[in-house]
Amino acid sequence: MKRLSAIAALSTAALLGLSACGGGAATGGGDTEGPIKIGVIADRSGATADVGTPYNEGMLGYVEWRNAKGGIEGRNIEAMSNDYAYLVPKAEELYKKYIAEGAVAIQGWGTGDSEALRKKVAADELPFMSASYAEVLTDVAESPYNFVVAPTYSDQMRVALDWIAQDSGGQRTQVAVFHHDSPFGTAPVADGQKWLVEKGYDLGYKSFAMPKTPNFVGLLSQARSLGAKYIVIQNVSSPAAQVAKDIKAQNLDMKIVCLNWCSDELFIKTATPAVAEGHIMIQPFAPPTTAKPGHADIEEFLKSKGSSLQDKGLHYVQGWWTMAAMAQGIEKVLKDGDELNGPNIRKALEGLQLDTGGVVGGGTVKFSTDSHRGSTGTGIYQVKGGQLTELTANAAPKE
Amino acid sequence: MSTVTATGIHHRSYRGELALRHTRAEYARLALVVLLLVALPYMLNIYWLGIVNTILIAVIGAVGLNILVGFTGQISLGQGGFLAVGAFTSAILHERAGLPVPLSVFAAVLTTATVGAFFGLPALRLKGLYLAIATLASQEIIVFTVKRWSWLTEGQGFLDVSRLEIFGWRIERTMFEVQWYWILLVIAAVAVVAARNLFRTGLGRSFMAVRDQDIAAAAIGVNVTRTKVTAFAVSSGFVGLAGALTAHYTETVTWERFTLDVSVLYLAMIIVGGLGSIAGAVYGAAFLILLPVLISELSEAVEPAFPFLSTQLPAIRNAVFGLVILLFLIFEPRGLARVWQRMKDYVRFWPFRY
Repeated sequence: MKRLSAIAALSTAALLGLSACGGGAATGGGDTEGPIKIGVIADRSGATADVGTPYNEGMLGYVEWRNAKGGIEGRNIEAMSNDYAYLVPKAEELYKKYIAEGAVAIQGWGTGDSEALRKKVAADELPFMSASYAEVLTDVAESPYNFVVAPTYSDQMRVALDWIAQDSGGQRTQVAVFHHDSPFGTAPVADGQKWLVEKGYDLGYKSFAMPKTPNFVGLLSQARSLGAKYIVIQNVSSPAAQVAKDIKAQNLDMKIVCLNWCSDELFIKTATPAVAEGHIMIQPFAPPTTAKPGHADIEEFLKSKGSSLQDKGLHYVQGWWTMAAMAQGIEKVLKDGDELNGPNIRKALEGLQLDTGGVVGGGTVKFSTDSHRGSTGTGIYQVKGGQLTELTANAAPKE
Repeated sequence: MSTVTATGIHHRSYRGELALRHTRAEYARLALVVLLLVALPYMLNIYWLGIVNTILIAVIGAVGLNILVGFTGQISLGQGGFLAVGAFTSAILHERAGLPVPLSVFAAVLTTATVGAFFGLPALRLKGLYLAIATLASQEIIVFTVKRWSWLTEGQGFLDVSRLEIFGWRIERTMFEVQWYWILLVIAAVAVVAARNLFRTGLGRSFMAVRDQDIAAAAIGVNVTRTKVTAFAVSSGFVGLAGALTAHYTETVTWERFTLDVSVLYLAMIIVGGLGSIAGAVYGAAFLILLPVLISELSEAVEPAFPFLSTQLPAIRNAVFGLVILLFLIFEPRGLARVWQRMKDYVRFWPFRY
């Protein structure tokens, strides 16, 4: 017993003595030579893998293309990409791994993990972009190191409601919001409700969490009992396509208005063109069918790989241009001869004006010290003949 | 004192029999473990230290669950929900009510113990599979509540928790993992020692009596009702502590971290580690947190030779997870703790087999 007490006392003393010092501190990253390391947290197998996989490929495609062109100021980009299966703890684990390996910036994916990491990236001073367009991530005071390259989900919802108010011709109508049951899904719901009040739209508005089961007949009958004519969907393509199928099967007079992650070719393919016909897509990134100048490099790169933009789809474009925005910030730091570290990349990004060749909203992604909201403009498309047909190229929420 | 002979350990006093450790080898091993734990932050980079920190939190949660499942014989699929109660309670009390972290963590332990005792009430009537389903309901109810009750997260769906500050001392950015390591190590060590000692008390023995045969326990005077509810409360208290630490360590509380998968993972920890063994809970937590990480590292190392691994990795991880549990259930249902015991016995009794 005495011996146990002695060991306990010794170890407590050692712990107290050592707690003030110790190794294992975070590395600063950003060496003056060698590859520029960017950590990529990708969903290739999780709940959003259908759209996460092409997005991730787009990011890695940009890196390969840029490196083939000599990299950034002669230095290659090393994108460390790993699958996190849409699990927040796994994203945190990867984040730590990337810091340990000297990443100077992080490319994330979902809303839940971007929100979970935003305090850490602020404390660690690591610029962070992701495929989440949750409005909370654009708040410079709360999320000083997060940058959102496209209109937020809330802005997309505002544009969707503006369009519905116009399409319904001032008649009172009902809007049902079907959303993924997660922080991603709920992100724009409350802001949509506020927008109706602010703009004085005569629209009924009720939100429904989508069940995991691939059958939305029950949810649709609830929406129908409300008299809903429009279903705004904040979810990924596969479940949204199932909603379209169920609407068709039930012969309901309802129009889907998809926000970003279900507004794509996959929705049309999964639902089948006949079923998808006429539904509305709010999509901030121009799809390949619109042939914007910002698609040219991507198309050329993919052709050299024996593929095409038609095969890869618009989420590839999304990943490509998000990585391009990050690279632009890094390039500015190196051009100015500054040390490549988080605070300097943030400063560079805050002066960024990236011309995306008409791909994002009005074409330009722009950040400032006051706003990390890259754009408010989004395209509005309608499915016609199995394709996304542009209705409005750059729609922003009404003033 | 105790004597070690070729025929086993012989105690010559009650005090000797009750001691936590009996042999010189046990003290030597303890010293080695302490040495290793002290050296760890100097040997590992922040990534690996972060994983060790995750293990330390999981140890507290697994010990809590083992008190209920391994020692009292009650089943629980509500671990994720109880972790959520601990995390949300501590985060809200600290961030909104301004309670210092030690007090908010303590309050989280008490709250989770209360919630656990409440959800343990069905255990008075139900056993086995029925109880498992009842606790599964508690998991779903708690997660449903934290998802839908917007007051909890002020409508934003998650809670931000500020960097740990205890009476003016604040965790440093560059030393984040190291300083958390010491804090978690001390708390995990206290939790493990407390749980070990629990089973030397009357309460702990009544837990085991109920596990072994509740009718016989009642016959010898154990209040089965009180014991079962207390077991749920004590176990949930530990789990609440793990949840509260998760909140302050990860600095964000979101329900996504407390799903049914987490409940299953914790059950796997105590099965693989060894039901009814505190050391087993520690081994199981370490093993199951490390397993996916090691699989990822291994696949990264061999990826050039097998490029398909990068796309198949999640499936492989899940398959290995399932396989490990199956193999343990078939070959060593008493888990890693028993494997370790057998190894020690082999050395101790060599050249004899028994």
